Amino acid sequence: MTLLLRRGSELRLLVWVAAIALTGFVAVAAAETTAFDRSQVLVPVLFVSMVVLLHAFLAARGLRGDQILLPMAACLTAIGLVLVQRLASSLLANQLSWTVIAAGAFIATILIPRDLTALARFKWSWALLGVALLVSPLLPVIGREINGARIWIGLGRVTFEPWEAVKIVMVVFFAAYLEEYREVIANTRRFGPLPIPPLPYLVPILAMWGFAMIVVIFEKDLGAAVLFLGIFLAMLYMATGESFYTLIGLALLLVGGFVVYHAFGHVQVRVDTWLRPFSEDMRFGAGYQIVQGLFALANGGLFGAGLGNGMPDRIPIVWSDFVFNAFAEETGFAGALALLALYLLFVYRGMLIALRAPTPFLQLLAAGLSFIVALQTLVIVGGNARLIPLTGVTLPFVAYGGSSLVTNWMLVGLLMRVSDLTARARGTE
Amino acid sequence: MEITFGVLLWSVRIAFLLLVYVFLFRSFASLQRSLASERTQARALGTLVVERSPAKTPRVGERLSLRATNAIGRDAGNDIAIPDEAASARHAVLEQRDEEWWIEDLGSTNGTLVNGVKIEKRERVRFGDEIAIGRVALRLER
Amino acid sequence: MTRSIGENIRSVTFVLALAFLISSIGVGYWTLVASDELGSDPFNPRLVSAIRDRPRGTIVDSAGGVLAESVKATDGYKRVYKDRTLSQVVGYASFKYGTAGVEAAYAESLVGQDPADPVATWRARYLNERESPGAVVLAIDPKVQKAAADALGGRRGAIIALDPRTGAILASVSFPNYDASLIADPTTEDTAWDQVSKNVDKPLIDRARLGVYAPGSTFKLVTGATALEVGVNPDTKVRVDDPWQADPSWGSYFVRSSSKAHGDYTMADGYRLSENIYFAKIGLQIGGAKLAEYAQRFGIGSAPKCDIAAAKGQLSNTGSLDRPTLIADTSYGQGELLVSPLQMALVAAAIGRGGVMPTPHYATEVRDAAGNTIRTVAPGAAGQVIRPDTAAKFTTYLVGAVEGPGAFAFGARINGVHVAGKTGTAENPAGPPHGWFVGFAPAEAPTVAVAVIVENSGQGGLDAAPLGGRVMQTALGK
Repeated sequence: MTLLLRRGSELRLLVWVAAIALTGFVAVAAAETTAFDRSQVLVPVLFVSMVVLLHAFLAARGLRGDQILLPMAACLTAIGLVLVQRLASSLLANQLSWTVIAAGAFIATILIPRDLTALARFKWSWALLGVALLVSPLLPVIGREINGARIWIGLGRVTFEPWEAVKIVMVVFFAAYLEEYREVIANTRRFGPLPIPPLPYLVPILAMWGFAMIVVIFEKDLGAAVLFLGIFLAMLYMATGESFYTLIGLALLLVGGFVVYHAFGHVQVRVDTWLRPFSEDMRFGAGYQIVQGLFALANGGLFGAGLGNGMPDRIPIVWSDFVFNAFAEETGFAGALALLALYLLFVYRGMLIALRAPTPFLQLLAAGLSFIVALQTLVIVGGNARLIPLTGVTLPFVAYGGSSLVTNWMLVGLLMRVSDLTARARGTE
Repeated sequence: MEITFGVLLWSVRIAFLLLVYVFLFRSFASLQRSLASERTQARALGTLVVERSPAKTPRVGERLSLRATNAIGRDAGNDIAIPDEAASARHAVLEQRDEEWWIEDLGSTNGTLVNGVKIEKRERVRFGDEIAIGRVALRLER
Repeated sequence: MTRSIGENIRSVTFVLALAFLISSIGVGYWTLVASDELGSDPFNPRLVSAIRDRPRGTIVDSAGGVLAESVKATDGYKRVYKDRTLSQVVGYASFKYGTAGVEAAYAESLVGQDPADPVATWRARYLNERESPGAVVLAIDPKVQKAAADALGGRRGAIIALDPRTGAILASVSFPNYDASLIADPTTEDTAWDQVSKNVDKPLIDRARLGVYAPGSTFKLVTGATALEVGVNPDTKVRVDDPWQADPSWGSYFVRSSSKAHGDYTMADGYRLSENIYFAKIGLQIGGAKLAEYAQRFGIGSAPKCDIAAAKGQLSNTGSLDRPTLIADTSYGQGELLVSPLQMALVAAAIGRGGVMPTPHYATEVRDAAGNTIRTVAPGAAGQVIRPDTAAKFTTYLVGAVEGPGAFAFGARINGVHVAGKTGTAENPAGPPHGWFVGFAPAEAPTVAVAVIVENSGQGGLDAAPLGGRVMQTALGK
């Protein structure tokens, strides 16, 4: 019994997650058929049991440190399952299977490697792995092109998006590399207020990043390009504190964006759709998705139309691209704000873990991982609310998508391990 | 208004929204609590973790924050009270000097053990070492 | 000296928190601020979703006759429209093509979410109750509507009749029209829409409130009323010689009289014989600024505050009358003027009502499912445009324009009632001129004001006047 009391806060929070999962499923199920479908209660029960088992595993292992990340990830995943049930119930079994796989990946991340700092030693292996993963969708046999983007690999009927994993690999590589060379990069000769960048030391990461960019542009994945650029700039800044590089990076982004806009048709479409979705020629064509998405938001009001009461099915591919709007339509601004707050709290906790980590590598690792979640959320919500063009990244944990779910749970596992190491080093709980 | 199915359904929906907010606030509160306790724990110069305890107090797994000088014994007035029969009223003193921890036996009846070996008078204790007072075992940690 | 990683992480976190705040504001904008605007967008499927799953409210005319209702079809409900002549007023409600007309303007009321009944709105919105929502009652009088439709016949144009005392619109016809039931029926919607939207004669447009044309001589109502209001003496004889220009700087521009007149004209003569040169001179006497000011007061160049959207039109391309040639041209109804029949009917109504401009509205009340009135649509007057004594004096000229010797608008006469009115023949660069008639009856205390436009008619105003007369006659019950 003392086993479970070791991570008492976590267990207490999981009770609330269970309540959320249950009420969510009940609301959606009851709204669809006015009669109650008992088999649908199985899903939240199954999910909650799985999460409790994860908690027991952590307690048995004696993992110390953070106790709110697991409940938050579970809460977000639960909301995701409720929404998949609501928006595309035929995909629920699929998403549930991926959730189980994600739980397995989480356990694996907790168990291996035994020494987290060993990750830093293999940075070039990580770079190589990243490159391999990035290129894999372009390969003949296993590469798949879906919806005009060549970003998938498939084995039989199972498809996977390797770029999701590349994000994490990239962060590990950057963290390891920057730990070693941050002093050199930061303490360069200066030309007045501006630093003279030590190019030889910047080359490996620039190359890695540049390669990622090119591949992603060839695979027509605008969202991944934005994310990689953001992660690169953020980690460079966090390691060196040199805002000059960030400004250059942003300038390059604008220039690159300009070039890409004129060179690539699909980019042009996205930007035009963002600028004038309600115009006559866009409304029923390229702009249909965002227009319907905005209608959904408008229908939300303050408290939403009610779970199961909106019309999110008018938005094309709502279960992966526009889950946020569907959630906001049915739970209103109040619900959307709560969801954004959850993500912010998650990122905040991740950054706190980063601040307290004992070595620079671990600090950069945790910060980079948290940044991934933050940037991804901001980019998709920004696109959904027409603050920026749509890019095709999806909402972490909540949107339908197996690869995203698995990699995000691995991300959580890594963060919790960093927190554990910090706690052991400090002698705290 | 009669309690129609519609009204019930609407209540479930509102409950969902409320639950999400409750969870959000409780998570934040839990975070604040753990940060606060982290701070107080980190201020301790060291910690003794109870490894073995035949009685209800001290609890196994309990963490005791250490000061620079800590009197250990059965007497309640000690900094670290060990209400074990086999412990003397004033059993030992655990103190930190120049970044090093030292344990001194105060002439106890059954003696003080470090890593299973009975000490003479004073012994240096390192992090990870196990100190036995009576039937209670304590491990020194950072 | 490098900054610590910790400090950098803090900066990044701060920026991220800021970005989250901005995102929340963005989301808040769409969910809270733009909510109404998008919610009533005619292409928002939510607004029209009630059509399929549950019956939509009925639209009835003033006598209770059903104009639009939901009937049960094989897969849910479909909308059926009974009076083709009201197709542009009642509009349509289509899942695919959105809503128009009353169906759009009163969309919320028709799905049981009228803001005046918050309990019902809450029940309809959150409890998904499938009761039959109530009805929207229009002011349209079926007898007057039929008279207007018969009068216009198969000619392109519009007739609109309203009650000057309340602004309620009694009849509105716009030809060509279309069968809205075909658009609302999912099995025929695509072909019907294709046909209707590609028709060069544009049957979808309600010419009565959205069609804009040069008013021709009907604009002399504004010129003359303004002249009286600012103190011009109507009995002063003004010399008219066709053609006329104020000075040689006008170049090749002359004001031409429709009857090649030469003589001295009073205002009464000017109206009776619709003399352009008289009004051009009067207009210059009033001055561009004053004329523009009163035109604006009469609603020219701004959209009337109607419950269904109406056209704005314009006084001139720039909104002001700065050149003498423009002032002259505008005074007798050409220039760069663009007005809708609704706007002209309102001008007539204001004059007839002692200078008080009514606010037009198509609906009179909204009812709930049980038949109780939830709210009445009765916007008050829009304001006093000219003084009552001016209006009364001016009315006599308009009566003269119908009943006087040689009056152009003789076709509008009604036995036993004094009719005030004015014809207009608007030059049209694209073809034969348009024929206008505006008027009200009985002249002393009007209960109906009418505006008629017949596009590309052969005889101009002479064609339009009898149509106006017939409509007013029916409205008066004669």
